[in-house]
This record gives sequence, structure tokens and C-alpha cells, in this order.
Amino acid sequence: MRVLIADDSRVMRQIVIRTLRQAGYDWWEITEAEDGAAALGVVRSDPPDLVLSDWNMPEMTGIELLRAINAEGHDVPLGFVTSEGSPEMRAMADQEGALFLIAKPFTAESFRDAIEPVLA
Amino acid sequence: MTATLLTSGLVLSVAEEVFAALVDGEEGKLTPWIGAPVPFAEPVVAWVDLAGEWSGRAVLLTERSTADDLARALLRLDPSEALGDEDLVDAFGEIANVVGGNIKSIVATNGDLGLPQVSTTIQDVSGTVIEEVLLSWRGRLMIVRVLHLP
Repeated sequence: MRVLIADDSRVMRQIVIRTLRQAGYDWWEITEAEDGAAALGVVRSDPPDLVLSDWNMPEMTGIELLRAINAEGHDVPLGFVTSEGSPEMRAMADQEGALFLIAKPFTAESFRDAIEPVLA
Repeated sequence: MTATLLTSGLVLSVAEEVFAALVDGEEGKLTPWIGAPVPFAEPVVAWVDLAGEWSGRAVLLTERSTADDLARALLRLDPSEALGDEDLVDAFGEIANVVGGNIKSIVATNGDLGLPQVSTTIQDVSGTVIEEVLLSWRGRLMIVRVLHLP
């Protein structure tokens, strides 16, 4: 399972990776991108099995990344890990086909709750 | 809900949840500050702006040494391990970002959350403080302030 984590905070990328390990996904092969534009570049050149993306990022936001993935026809699923989870954002994420939206602060349990159903 | 219904109790709950999940890995390390606040000798401030139907700013303010330890806790670093300025700014900004994002979900149903900013200069902002909560993180003062911006 090759997973791309897109977040402009290096610290938050580390915390996401740590939490994924705590949640039991220590077998995942992780790569990182520092914003949506960099993540789109990875999706184009070496598509991962899953993208975990922040929402608010410079250059290209998470929702813009998801729209670009859809518009370019990449078969790459995406879930959001973001610092807010308003109903409006969840509706927008659903509309664009996001797998899930995990709101920060998260725990290993909230990761498992969101990820297990889509892995099954 | 609107900002007028934001209470110090809600701000405390947001901060407690953020610190327990991301910083400490357990509850109880962040509690209300008892007594008068101590002045900061070397302050560090982090904030995110909320723009939309309600415009405001969520601010986190503490002593530099406390922000250092907060970043170490977030990164699970030992006290002996070096912490760069970049990591301090990134970590402290992310805490403000997550606190601000959760406050936004209370005060507004739509609008944008800005990117986190970190400074050693306390900004003179022409806003109205609608909540200010003094907290003790591991015995050291941390202030969460929510402003309504014009």
C-alpha cells in the first residue's frame, strides 16, 4: 500500500505518520508532499494507492487537488486530514468523491474508524 | 452557532482536546490557570484568521521556552535533542491552526481558515477580544485569545 501524505506542515506530516503507525498501518509505504501542487505532481508521475491530504495549503489546497485528480482522470482515492470539519466542508468533500474527512485533533482510533471501512 | 455564544468553557474544551490528542497523548496536562497571569519575558504568538460570515482571529500566546517544550512534546523529542527555529514555528503554528479550526467550527458554518502565522512580536490588532482563556500547560502559562475582527 503506497500512501502519499500532503500537508504544508512537516511537523503535522510526522504526526500523521506516527498516528498511522499507532493505528496499525506501519506496513504502509509513505511518501510526502508539502502542498497540493507537489502532491498532484506525484499523482501524475507515480500514482499512489491513497492520498491523505490537508485542506488548507499554499499553492494548491486539498479540495483543489482532489478536483484536479478527478479532472485529469487519475484513479487515485483521497481522504482529508484537516484542522476543521464543518458540515460545509464535509459536503464539499463528499461531492468531489473524497473517501473520508478526519478532523484534527485525531487519534489512532479515529484514523482506524475512517480508514478501515474503505480498506475492506 | 455564532461567536456571541462562544464561551470560555468551549475554548477550554477545544484546547484540552487538542493538547490531549496531539501534544500530550493523555488528558490532564492542560488545565485552567489559577491566579494572576505572569508577564512573558520572551513571548511567542501564533494565530490563524477566520474569514467569511464571521471574521476573527484565534491566537495562542506563551513564553518562548514553553513553545520550545510544546514543539518537543509534539515531535516526541527528548530534552537533549536540538530543536530548530523552523520546527518551533511549524509546531506552534500547527497547534494554533488546529485550535483555530475547531473554534471556527463553533463560531461559523462557512468561510475560510487562513494559514497559521507565528511571531515574536505581539501584534496590535484592531479587533475585539471576545474570549480569553488562561491555561496552565505543565504548570506554565498559555493564553488562548479569540478576537472578532472588523
